[in-house]
Amino acid sequence: MSWPGFSAITNAWWLLLLVPLLIFYFLKLKRPRVEISSLALWQSVLNDQRVNSPFQRFRRNILLWLQMAALILLVVASMQPFIPGTAEPAAFQPVLIDCSASMAARDPASGKTRLEEASERVVGLIESLKPDQKLSLIAVHSSADRMTEFTSNRRVLLDAVKSLHVRDVASRIEDALRMTQAMARTVPVESAILISDGNFPRKVRFALPFELNYQQLAPGGPNAGITAFNARLATEQSWDVFLRVEASADTYGRLILRQDGQSIGEQPFVLGASESQRLTFQVNSDHSTELEARLEFGSRQVDSIDSDNIAWLDLPVARPLRVYATPSLDSFRRALAAMPGVNLYPTDGQIEQRSAVYDLVISDQTRDARLTASVHLLIGVVPDGVASLVEPARRSAQFLDWDRTAPLLRHAQLADVETADAIKLTDSADVGDVEAAGFSVLASGTAGPMILCQRNASTLNYYTLFHTSRSTLEFRVAFPVLVANLVQIARQEASIGNVSAVLTGVLPSMRRNVGAVYSVIGPDSSRQQVRVSNTGILQGITASQAGRYELISDTGESVSIAANLLSAEESTLKTVDRIEFDEQLTASATETLQNDRPVWSLLTLLALGVTLVEWWFFQRPGQRVRS
Amino acid sequence: MARIEDDAKPQMTRLLSNETLARVEQMRLRPNRRLTNRARGEHAAGVNGASVDFTDYRNYVAGDDIRHVDWNIFARLQRPYLKLYAHEEELHVVVVLDASLSMRSAEKFERARQLAAAFSTMALLGTDRVSLFAGTGSDAPLAILRGVSGRRATRLVFEFLENLEPEGDSTIDETIASTLRIHHGRGVAVVLSDFLTSRDMAGSFNRLSSAGLEIFGVQILAPQEMDPDLTGDVRLVDCETGQTLDVSSARELLDLYHEHRLGQHHYLLSQCRRRHGRFATVSSEQSLETILRETLLRQGWIQ
Repeated sequence: MSWPGFSAITNAWWLLLLVPLLIFYFLKLKRPRVEISSLALWQSVLNDQRVNSPFQRFRRNILLWLQMAALILLVVASMQPFIPGTAEPAAFQPVLIDCSASMAARDPASGKTRLEEASERVVGLIESLKPDQKLSLIAVHSSADRMTEFTSNRRVLLDAVKSLHVRDVASRIEDALRMTQAMARTVPVESAILISDGNFPRKVRFALPFELNYQQLAPGGPNAGITAFNARLATEQSWDVFLRVEASADTYGRLILRQDGQSIGEQPFVLGASESQRLTFQVNSDHSTELEARLEFGSRQVDSIDSDNIAWLDLPVARPLRVYATPSLDSFRRALAAMPGVNLYPTDGQIEQRSAVYDLVISDQTRDARLTASVHLLIGVVPDGVASLVEPARRSAQFLDWDRTAPLLRHAQLADVETADAIKLTDSADVGDVEAAGFSVLASGTAGPMILCQRNASTLNYYTLFHTSRSTLEFRVAFPVLVANLVQIARQEASIGNVSAVLTGVLPSMRRNVGAVYSVIGPDSSRQQVRVSNTGILQGITASQAGRYELISDTGESVSIAANLLSAEESTLKTVDRIEFDEQLTASATETLQNDRPVWSLLTLLALGVTLVEWWFFQRPGQRVRS
Repeated sequence: MARIEDDAKPQMTRLLSNETLARVEQMRLRPNRRLTNRARGEHAAGVNGASVDFTDYRNYVAGDDIRHVDWNIFARLQRPYLKLYAHEEELHVVVVLDASLSMRSAEKFERARQLAAAFSTMALLGTDRVSLFAGTGSDAPLAILRGVSGRRATRLVFEFLENLEPEGDSTIDETIASTLRIHHGRGVAVVLSDFLTSRDMAGSFNRLSSAGLEIFGVQILAPQEMDPDLTGDVRLVDCETGQTLDVSSARELLDLYHEHRLGQHHYLLSQCRRRHGRFATVSSEQSLETILRETLLRQGWIQ
């Protein structure tokens, strides 16, 4: 049994009011005077009852007892008593509330979304807030938003809870945890509360410096959604369109595909729990076109999340890939020339056009890094950012390890490749320094890093720190595979050949006129102003809701981009009841923490009831004279 | 109400309306005992007399007045028989009126004066003698109207009563004691008071009875005294003495109050009956006609 606690124990001093209550009672300072003919009868009545005895007067006077009970109840209520819950009270309590797409899932029984359930829990926390306790609300989605500072102002906190809304993005809790960690530097944060349905990765790359109370919500109802939507150029005017539908429970329905508003096909789907189905369509178009895929379910089917039932894909005009390869890189040029759909520059006998826009640049010249292209592969070039971290190894080197999941090195076998001019890290540097400089190491050799990757806002740069002509790479099967992968990456970056639907979160960067200002109108009619950077890149457009975003420049130019949820984790509503952090720390949702339950309102009602009883007792009609 | 005034007709007294007075004049007192004086009156003395009321026959003996011989019986039986008549004597009605301040509330004193007027009227029209004693302050002398008789004396009685006002703090036992120091003679003592005193009335009743007065005790209480409507904590103030008494949770004590009041009524009633007297408690909110009809006439005080 847990004894009740008191948030304002100092208010117990008000109990001293019992003293004047008793004094007033015994002294009867405010007795109304009633004139009667004679005191004789009343005197005999009082003598008979011996009410002059203080104890008997005290025992008989129920009014006094009722007054004392009402006063004690009011004073105890002012002491703000509460029944302690299982949650340990903390002075500074961050509360992380999951607002990802899966939190929109509704419970079929109650009809409430997960976010509404989470909001109710947060309201319970706010209601049970003690005077010396402060909360900070953090909305968790693909990033994290701090809704409030640490505050004990219930109005501010409740307003923040009201402003919570679901974002059509997959949830990542790392940002929220880092934000909490940053807050812990200014105030002592011993624990944080995470309220979520558990729809996020089990492993979180974060060293947890505080205790995490993971309060998992009950799962929502069944759901199915579109989790992939892309297209591949089949011929010059024909696209193969691929969609994937996944479900968290048995369901069936059909997928309808529309092109520029016109229905061009539909396919049925039947799915079991955690199953997926790939649907393929063929779309003919000689111009840019808009595709819209929409799920329609059977009449008895229940679907929890709406935002994953529709997806958009913008198909560009089909065109060949523009590839610039330095003439000195003969092996690359031969491999590229054999590929269909690739226009190789500079062509034979043509003057090099350095101002042209390319999709892919392959060069062993440092200056070619300034050519305008979406993807660069610089051969034997050490980028400026890591120049101080490496030095020539002056010996041959072999590949030891490489990232087989990287798009560039997919299916490439580099184990038997040797290089003559390897690069090694300086004695004072390590791989972490390279990554800190903004580069990821795709392949490492016996001497040091061999292939680096750097993604900027608008470009993707690959660096081989060795020259391919002084290695055995050009004579291995891995070489054409690598070139094919590179072309595939370039096509993807340039949206040529392979087109994937844009995901929610942040819209992809675009090249636009320097200094132009765009008004972005979201699907929920929200507006934001974005200015094109000095490098001519329009980036950083937040897209937290699935739907079409209209970008209207100050010159009247209009661009439409559709953002899609397309998250298998969110659509299948997979949950984890255990979060694994770095350093083998875990947080389990083994029990729902009970908040402190305030009882002052109940006591106040009791005091009111006692007062009413006292009033009734005082005013009750007199009894009749006995005959 | 008894004080209903008829503007069209002159009133004999403002205490009684003419109609009430007419009805009262038809009424007579009915004492339990023959506590009469030797003077001739309308009350049978228990011995043979010369009234018109026949009581019995007896044999004629020498020396009897032959005027009382029933000649019709003599003619029939040839033997003389004397016809006997009741002897009627005068009754002295002593009205003892409590005129202290405690009688002031809720027309108690008004009702007492009306009853005194009614009893006096009945006595005077029955050829009885009437004396009135009204006690006010414990140190003040009694207001007295002694030994009046005859119909014409009713006006004196009415004027005496009309001029009385409640004042002082005398108790009814003090008033009785003062009365008995002055009055001599057998008869009926009509005691009109609220009897709200802490003193034992047994002694006063003893003295009245010893003085040859049959007790007609009428306790007149205000409605607030019959059924108090007190709640909460109050400070009771004695209107005579100004003394106070704090009562807590008065409503809680009402049952006990009623027990005490009824207990006092029964005690006074038993004390009067033990002395062949009568006792009744009336409310001042009752009209005089109601008291006369519902209480005094029904209980045989008057006829």
